[in-house]
Amino acid sequence: MDERQEILSAPLTFNWTLSYRCNFTCDHCYSRDEVCNELSTADNYRIIDVLAEQQIPFINFGGGEPLLRDDLFDIAGYATQCGLNVSMNSNGWLLDSKVAQRLRDCGFKSVGISIDSPEPTVHDQFRNMPGSFTRATHALDSLADSGLKSTMSSVVSRINYRCFQDLLDLARDHHVTQIYLHNFKCSGRGFKNRENLDLTPEEWQTFYREALATKERISDLIISFDDPVIASLPGYQHQSMVKGSSCGKLSLHLRPNGDITPCGFIPVVVGNILKDDFETIWFESPVLKAMRSKVASGKCASCSVFEDCQGGCTARAFATTGDFNQPDPHCWK
Amino acid sequence: MKKPLRNQEIVWRIEKRRQSEALDALEAGRDVDELGTVTLIQAGVMHQLNLVGGMVWERCDGHRTVEDIVDDLAGEFDVERGVLKNDVEIFINDLLQKGWLTDG
Ligand code: SF4
Ligand code: SF4
Repeated sequence: MDERQEILSAPLTFNWTLSYRCNFTCDHCYSRDEVCNELSTADNYRIIDVLAEQQIPFINFGGGEPLLRDDLFDIAGYATQCGLNVSMNSNGWLLDSKVAQRLRDCGFKSVGISIDSPEPTVHDQFRNMPGSFTRATHALDSLADSGLKSTMSSVVSRINYRCFQDLLDLARDHHVTQIYLHNFKCSGRGFKNRENLDLTPEEWQTFYREALATKERISDLIISFDDPVIASLPGYQHQSMVKGSSCGKLSLHLRPNGDITPCGFIPVVVGNILKDDFETIWFESPVLKAMRSKVASGKCASCSVFEDCQGGCTARAFATTGDFNQPDPHCWK
Repeated sequence: MKKPLRNQEIVWRIEKRRQSEALDALEAGRDVDELGTVTLIQAGVMHQLNLVGGMVWERCDGHRTVEDIVDDLAGEFDVERGVLKNDVEIFINDLLQKGWLTDG
């Protein structure tokens, strides 16, 4: 089949960093050392016009802390008006009941709050912010009271992988219906702190076996994780239309100045959404093409699940080796 | 008469480039059944419809009857009307059962 037939006409999701500024300095954050000009409200509206023209259905604001941009509500409102489905991830510090109501009123479809440990002191320490656990759980409650769908996001790491069932209970206690268990990425501070935070490949395998079994067993909470390295495990079903990492195939990332990268964890700019023709970037970028047609290298070359796994997470392989095609360092095979 | 309507919770999009590729392939006499031309996202899960399915889906706007949809498509495809009608009905009934369409 022609390579172009396999890719969608445009991504389905843009993960959009409006600002790298943040009121926190978390140990695993990929973006604390990033510096980048921010665009004006008007320029962000122009971006939305491009996204709407390309019929991109979903945008998710991340960061940095999106609520540090005063015009977040206007930008989200404009995007909603243009037919996009808007969501965001926040650390919850600035999200009280008034803000929850404003988020709902400007059209947000869901808001995710990051909580990394069911233990308040562990979460606060990890996020280097005393009181952040309490503010985060209050944020979840405010969202629930406002009627806006809330989700919970946890980056799986050494501080929580043994007690992730307690994270599920925490989610239930705060009326969350979906929890994202993000795989640890070795980028930014996560790269610097990876010795302390990252699991060994064997620990990843054990964690994912339990997480897959739990996902299968429970029905009151949706557990979402998107980590291609689990393709070799029993119970892994292809819910995704693509094999391997979804970045560059289903999603792209926007930096605060309009630069496009395949994902927030791969610091390779493939173009600028306001300066370059979007379709040329999407269909012709050599970087995106390389990510879509990875070449099995190292142990992947003789691996029976390469077709599904595609070498695992491209961002992790790239962060640790500088080569998209190397095996994911989390791989236990 | 039934006027099928798309479930408003489902986010969908026509894959423009793939749709035109499928039309070209059809013109050239190739089989296009496996090529997804409409993407649907329902409860976070993605699905794809092929050319004919996608064209039916596009027309399920709650205003057109199944007959109207068949009439519309009969102009696009070189198939006997009875066969087309049967295929469209099976497809629509399947989606009604899944809850992706309602009887508008
Ligand atoms: S992980 Fe999120 S909350 Fe923590 S410093 Fe980074 S951007 Fe801020
Ligand atoms: S060896 Fe490569 S293809 Fe096989 S499971 Fe590991 S990362 Fe995936």
